Amino acid sequence: MVNLQTSWEVRTLSQRASEALAGGQLGLTTGYLFAGLAGLAVFLAAMALVLVYAERKIAAHFQCRLGPMRVGWHGILQSVADSLKLLLKEDIVPTDADRFLHVLAPFMSLLAAILVLVMLPMSPALQVADVNIGVLYVTAVSGLGALGILLGGWSSNNKWSLLGAMRAGAQIISYEVSATLSLLVVVLFSGTLQLSKIVQSQADGWWIWRAPGVGLLAFAIYLIASVAEINRTPFDISEGESELTAGFHTEYSGMRFAFFFLAEFINMFVVSALAATLFLGGWMPFHIGGLATFNAAMDLIPPGAWFAAKSAFLIFVIMWFRWTFPRLRIDQLMRLEWKILLPIGFVNLFLAAMAVLFGFYFFPVQ
Amino acid sequence: MVSTLEDRVRPPAAAGGPLSTQEFFINMGPQHPSTHGVLRLVLKLDGETVREVIPVLGYIHRGIEKIGEHQTYRQFVHLSDRLDYLSALMNNWAVSLTVEKAAKIELNDRIQVIRTIMAELQRIQSHQLWWGVLGMDLGAFTPFLYGFRDREVLTDVFEETMGARLTMNYIQPGGLMQDIHPNFVERVKSFLKYFKPKLAEYEELLGGNVILQERLRKVGRLEAKTAVSMGATGPVLRASGVAHDLRKKEPYGVYSKVAFDVPVGTMGDCWDRYWVRIEEMRQSMRIVEQLIDNIPAGKHLLVKPAIVIKVPQGLYYGQVETARGILGIFVVADGTGYPYRIHLRTPNFNNLWSITAIAPGLRVADLVAILSSLDIVVPDIDR
Amino acid sequence: MNKMSQEDILTAPLAETAPSSSPAVGMTGPLAAPRPERRGFWWNILSGLRSLLKGMGVTFRYFSRPSTVVTQQYPENRATLKLFDRSRTLLGMIHDENGFHKCTACHFCEKACPNASITVAERPKPATGKPELDYFTWRMDSCTYCNACVIVCPFSVLTMSGTFENSVFDSRLLIYNLTRYAGPTSQVLMKIADPEERKRMIETRGVFSGVPLLRKGGRK
Repeated sequence: MVNLQTSWEVRTLSQRASEALAGGQLGLTTGYLFAGLAGLAVFLAAMALVLVYAERKIAAHFQCRLGPMRVGWHGILQSVADSLKLLLKEDIVPTDADRFLHVLAPFMSLLAAILVLVMLPMSPALQVADVNIGVLYVTAVSGLGALGILLGGWSSNNKWSLLGAMRAGAQIISYEVSATLSLLVVVLFSGTLQLSKIVQSQADGWWIWRAPGVGLLAFAIYLIASVAEINRTPFDISEGESELTAGFHTEYSGMRFAFFFLAEFINMFVVSALAATLFLGGWMPFHIGGLATFNAAMDLIPPGAWFAAKSAFLIFVIMWFRWTFPRLRIDQLMRLEWKILLPIGFVNLFLAAMAVLFGFYFFPVQ
Repeated sequence: MVSTLEDRVRPPAAAGGPLSTQEFFINMGPQHPSTHGVLRLVLKLDGETVREVIPVLGYIHRGIEKIGEHQTYRQFVHLSDRLDYLSALMNNWAVSLTVEKAAKIELNDRIQVIRTIMAELQRIQSHQLWWGVLGMDLGAFTPFLYGFRDREVLTDVFEETMGARLTMNYIQPGGLMQDIHPNFVERVKSFLKYFKPKLAEYEELLGGNVILQERLRKVGRLEAKTAVSMGATGPVLRASGVAHDLRKKEPYGVYSKVAFDVPVGTMGDCWDRYWVRIEEMRQSMRIVEQLIDNIPAGKHLLVKPAIVIKVPQGLYYGQVETARGILGIFVVADGTGYPYRIHLRTPNFNNLWSITAIAPGLRVADLVAILSSLDIVVPDIDR
Repeated sequence: MNKMSQEDILTAPLAETAPSSSPAVGMTGPLAAPRPERRGFWWNILSGLRSLLKGMGVTFRYFSRPSTVVTQQYPENRATLKLFDRSRTLLGMIHDENGFHKCTACHFCEKACPNASITVAERPKPATGKPELDYFTWRMDSCTYCNACVIVCPFSVLTMSGTFENSVFDSRLLIYNLTRYAGPTSQVLMKIADPEERKRMIETRGVFSGVPLLRKGGRK
């Protein structure tokens, strides 16, 4: 059996920077740090533009429409035009709103998304930071987004916004539990919390199928819970445009609204990427342990492409949910979490622990 | 003091204590996405729970009844288009029916058959739109566009014959404005062929969906007694288990000669209202299928258009079953060509009011589902 | 109509029998609503998942078939976009190949119009002695396109057409004069052999020349 793990050496940007610092190359250090920052900013903007365009096009074709067609070839520049419009729009803060919090809220929302983005292993050479408690960090930080929504809803001084914010708060906190429980399954199997190591542990196969049954179930639970966490249909009760007009961002306009919007799309990418990393092997090509030729053939496709393809697929699935399903009611949402997902998640975690204990999974680690 | 579950269910005034909550008022509308127009509902909320609903009307009041006093009976038909614009043809029919009854105008079979076909097609069209909007109100945007896509096919059928897409002004006292287009029969047949599989798809996409069923089942129960006392009619009344359909009880047109079933609900919840309308679409297609091949020959207009129809002095009432219930036209005639007074008994007004009986105790999201399942058209409420 | 009490309505069955003159098709009765069933925990979850997947199947079917797209790219498809013959979007007056119409200024359309959108003005001193049309003013801004004027016209002078791009920036431009000339009908004019003589009998009118008339007094 070829041990592939040695061939995937992870070098994060922060690692390179600290090595440069140790070597006394101060210019290189700042260069790396700056590259990380600028890269993130560019990545954020590009990702939002692409995702918004993709969402509109995909939604249109689900609905027998064409979607944007006018700005550029097949409307490809539509999101550029839209962001320009949002940039130029008047920024309105309601008279009786809590001005400071109202301004702060969109940044909080976006901040949470960016902080998670820092940890994502996009390919062996492309990762900003890699800490040994990656999974813990990601689950903790992504919960911060709820704070932005709560602040936005509270500070707007609008009853609809407040209702939306309260719904969002209850919902996100509940679904975090299930999402974390299903992430723990993978942590149990791979024996590490470090995201890059989790990816490397899937060199013999992705956890979704390597862990018999429990992997798939954990993946399904994570998918449902994460869709709820990022407030998308069928769990978009905090926005619920037909119920709460627009929920927590009713009173936001212009760029501040765009920030909430941006955060939603970045969050969508983050949860898809995280699901891909933990369950679908991240940047790891599709490997089956023992089949050296097959694995070598799969390695021809660069790891970055694998990561992008997996994330894109999951994003498509989330969009597909949105353009098919009606929305749940708040109490049904809670029932789904506390009475269905959570018990199943606990049982699943227990079974996973048993499987790890007895080595009852494909290609056990020696 | 510990707040128990019972405290939360009870009104807060009864709960008392430090954890008691405060009720607040909130305006749902006149600008709100799911009030389907400029309807305003003042809600008294306790958190998410609706304690009271007060509908406030008048935002689209056009005084159609008053304008009607200055219009000839023929001219009033075009105003009836603008009541419940999704049942324009059936509204036309209601006016024509009343005037014909009053002025004693006998119609031939051709007119009656075409009117019946048109009314049933319009019923399908109206329900298609309702289905799409229901999906959108519950958060699924795609059904909205599918509903409109299929509605477009029927709208084209109407436009080819009548020249208009929404406010047709087609059924006149004494006949029809124009004869049917030569392509009409073919087009209707191809529509039926097109729409049958689509209706099955509606069920797959939305009707069978577990989320939709959870949202609609046992939500907004309207008891039969309440429905009758509120004056609810149409699918809303029938979903509550009252088999009252004018097409069967007082057949007009050629409804007495065609076979069709009246879908009747058992519980009166939103799901029954949903099912009744879906089934009505099937039954309407059944009626059209029976009639479309045997449209008798004859004239399409029996009273010359230039003649001002004079109605003998007296009180007249005529009613038809529109897509939303019973539209009644009450005419006080003074023997001239103009009505002395016209009163409209519109179905949506009464249907809307049933929300005051069924919404308290439910959530805001349920309120949206109920509004959607009542299928209100605001211009019909305000006139 | 029989008077029915609430109780009667609640309990009365639907009319079951058709009139004897009707064909063999019988009336059928009411159809009771079925209730979707619910069973145990796992059955509910699995059947629920199945229903969700079914719905996703429907949307994916459309997604994967671009031929099902129904969007019309409106300004681009102007050349091929054609409304139906009977479409009512613009009122017009039929002029024959010589540019003459058949309107006798009988005011039928004016009376039939439910919202006073039509004003027919006669020529003050008609050359023939009979009423002659001077201005035919149609206010598009108040017209509801009910078609009453078209069907009421005894000489079928008026027509509705499917020209729908009528937007203007000045609402005064929505007041049209439909006749191209003031003068007698084509029947009277065609009896005159000399084209020069015909020309002398008529007076040209522009599309927007009906406006000053409205300002003067409007409907008589």
